[in-house]
Amino acid sequence: MKHAAIFCAAAVALAAILSRFPQERFPQAVRGEGALAVAFGDARAAISSAMMRKADGYFHGGVDAECGRLGEHHHHHGHHHDGEEADCGDGHGKDGSAGGGLFDPWAWIDAHVRAPDVHRHLEGKDSVEMLPWFWASVKADPHNIDAWTTAWYVAHNMMKDEDLSKRVIGEALASNPDSVEIALYAGRQLYDTANPDLDAAAKAFAAARDLALSKCGGDLSKLSEDERRMHGFALGYLEKIAERR
Amino acid sequence: MKFFLRQTAALVKLSFLELWRRNDVFALVLLALALMAPLSMATPFGAAGASRCLDEVALLLVWAFSLFVSIGAGQRLFRPEFESRTVYPLFSKPVSRTRILAGKYLGALASAWSALALFYALFTGSALLRGTGFGAALPQAIALHAAFVALAVALSLLGSLVMSASANSTLCAIALAGMFFFGRRLPDFAAGAGGIVSWLVRAAYAIGPHAEFFDMRQRLVHGWGAIDPLAFAAVLAYAAAYTAALLCVAAAVLKRKRL
Repeated sequence: MKHAAIFCAAAVALAAILSRFPQERFPQAVRGEGALAVAFGDARAAISSAMMRKADGYFHGGVDAECGRLGEHHHHHGHHHDGEEADCGDGHGKDGSAGGGLFDPWAWIDAHVRAPDVHRHLEGKDSVEMLPWFWASVKADPHNIDAWTTAWYVAHNMMKDEDLSKRVIGEALASNPDSVEIALYAGRQLYDTANPDLDAAAKAFAAARDLALSKCGGDLSKLSEDERRMHGFALGYLEKIAERR
Repeated sequence: MKFFLRQTAALVKLSFLELWRRNDVFALVLLALALMAPLSMATPFGAAGASRCLDEVALLLVWAFSLFVSIGAGQRLFRPEFESRTVYPLFSKPVSRTRILAGKYLGALASAWSALALFYALFTGSALLRGTGFGAALPQAIALHAAFVALAVALSLLGSLVMSASANSTLCAIALAGMFFFGRRLPDFAAGAGGIVSWLVRAAYAIGPHAEFFDMRQRLVHGWGAIDPLAFAAVLAYAAAYTAALLCVAAAVLKRKRL
């Protein structure tokens, strides 16, 4: 017990010392400060992705989203389970038939115990059940843009909770000031409402556009595909606002 | 018959008392409280009202702790007695080895079930306080979990007769946790692997202890309701058959064991 305590204390001290070194010296996928970022490194991104999958599972009423039962399902929250058919394609249906057509009693039992009888989604205020997993996801990796934007979508479009979505996008901006996508969503927060603040929204979309341009020095081909798309969306929203005025 | 029952009851009582004297369960309950209290107070993004994740984490803890208790209970039935040689006076009594095994197993099972009952009482109490109801799915989930505990204790008991304590605990935990999380995917792994690995995985799928059959956590958390009675009976039958087979092998091993 004493040795374990000494070992833990030494590990924490080492992580704290390493966290003082410039980040460029550590090839971490997940940027961040503090002992946690150094100690977990790439694992934080993996944990963050796992939390996202969990939230996705909650959206489907607890069904593991990687399971092939969901087929080629596209969410209305705008993403698709990559490789979902490949991961769970064991061919085990509720009738317990194995891939070769033989009856597999284990698959039959498992399908009846675990698998849901209906395919359903979380809706409305019930969508709050997904938020803890998004929160865990962005705590693990504050630069997981997909987690931030999906959490915003859930709060804004599914729960229709303006205050909550404002808090989400505010925290997202604070953690990712150089993200074009987050800047675009900050604009959407102001625009996609019953009473949009067109001036403030136009400023936010212009900020997203300018951020994209500043990142590439005016040459859009230097941007990633996602950033180019966000830049295009920002221009589109600016046009819409100009038309509404 | 009366004599048999009295002998068995004495053995059951001894095993039962041992678990509660060790205070393992109280330590686990305190650990659960230490983990769940901060979680229950968290408000992600300032939004309150999410309870499913709490139920899920609490149920995962119930499963983890029950696995710990079950393996420990099965593990401690014979190994310490062999090591301290207290098994000699026990075996010198006019009680057959099979009856000793049955009595000790029932005692370990009773103690593990009592711990499970405590865990579920705490879980159900906390869920009710939060206004969550589970309907008919909860009794089914508890029954299946109890069946799993019976299987886990039997597996651990058999392991304790053929290998060292640490090896037995580790292998039982790996086998049961591995099947719990990956059991249903084994056919996929077998299809993806080639040659002998594929056959080994297929064998593990065919004869391994399918812990995942007893897991109704997702049904409870997401309100899917109770499972089909036929499937429920099939899982109970599977647990009974598997446990009986393990105990038969354990009885045969104990009978032939040279002291």
